Amino acid sequence: MKQKTKLLIGWGVLCVLLLLVSSWYAVTWNDSRLVVPMDFQSYEFQVKDLPMILSVSRACIYGITLLITLVFSGCKQGKQLEKTNRTRKLNPKLGCLGFLGFLGFGGFWTYSVDGSIFPFAFFLFFGFFGFYYEGKMSGTFMDERFRENAARAGLKASNIAFSIIFLALVILCGGKLFGSLEYTLIAVIIVLSLALALRTFLSEYLLYRYDHDDHGVESGD
Amino acid sequence: MAEFECRLKKYRQLKDLTQEQLAEMVGVRRETVMRLEKAQYNPSLKLAVDLSRAVEAPIEEIFVFE
Repeated sequence: MKQKTKLLIGWGVLCVLLLLVSSWYAVTWNDSRLVVPMDFQSYEFQVKDLPMILSVSRACIYGITLLITLVFSGCKQGKQLEKTNRTRKLNPKLGCLGFLGFLGFGGFWTYSVDGSIFPFAFFLFFGFFGFYYEGKMSGTFMDERFRENAARAGLKASNIAFSIIFLALVILCGGKLFGSLEYTLIAVIIVLSLALALRTFLSEYLLYRYDHDDHGVESGD
Repeated sequence: MAEFECRLKKYRQLKDLTQEQLAEMVGVRRETVMRLEKAQYNPSLKLAVDLSRAVEAPIEEIFVFE
């Protein structure tokens, strides 16, 4: 398994290197063809395009292979977890991925540059902080109390998130924010992203708390 | 949650079982057995029956509702 992962990473690195080299070749010797945006309707094949075409094709094949491998390994892991009745194994350090949520602030910059607002959706990544608590409970045997707590945590997290969404929509739909409908829609995207991130985080955090609080009041034999 | 008295600890000790052993017998975590013994968790009917069989005592003797 580890060897397979190493092989995949190695192929990925090779693909990136080949892309870099072929891009350099195209920029230096081929008038940046296939590197800068061009009109493909009037495209005519040249032998000098081959390195770029081959490296891009290889990168695409690698991407598809990686996707298929990830889907299969995910399914396999899911079946295995169902069989063992334990939570999935996860490193709590993956919670650091939550910092990717700060990419959402990039939306203010991209909106001022070219008017694109999709980076605001990156606020969703704040939900990855939940991996920290999921990681702390990884490999836990899922008995009936655990499942009950998981359902309770999920329900409470959903209640909080949807209450926030409802309140925000009531306020925002009441009128134009700063007199602009566009600003109102941006605010809606931000609120939705943050609320869904909160839901993802809270369901893991509350589950951990319910389980952890139990330990606090209990004693051994 | 309905308040009840749980005598699981007494019956478990009579059978000379540890919480870990009992938990394994009924397919739950030790923490769940701890919680049950303190009457802080209301088990499903299936778990109650499994516990009753494991400690060989009637359900109504283990879980006493006022």
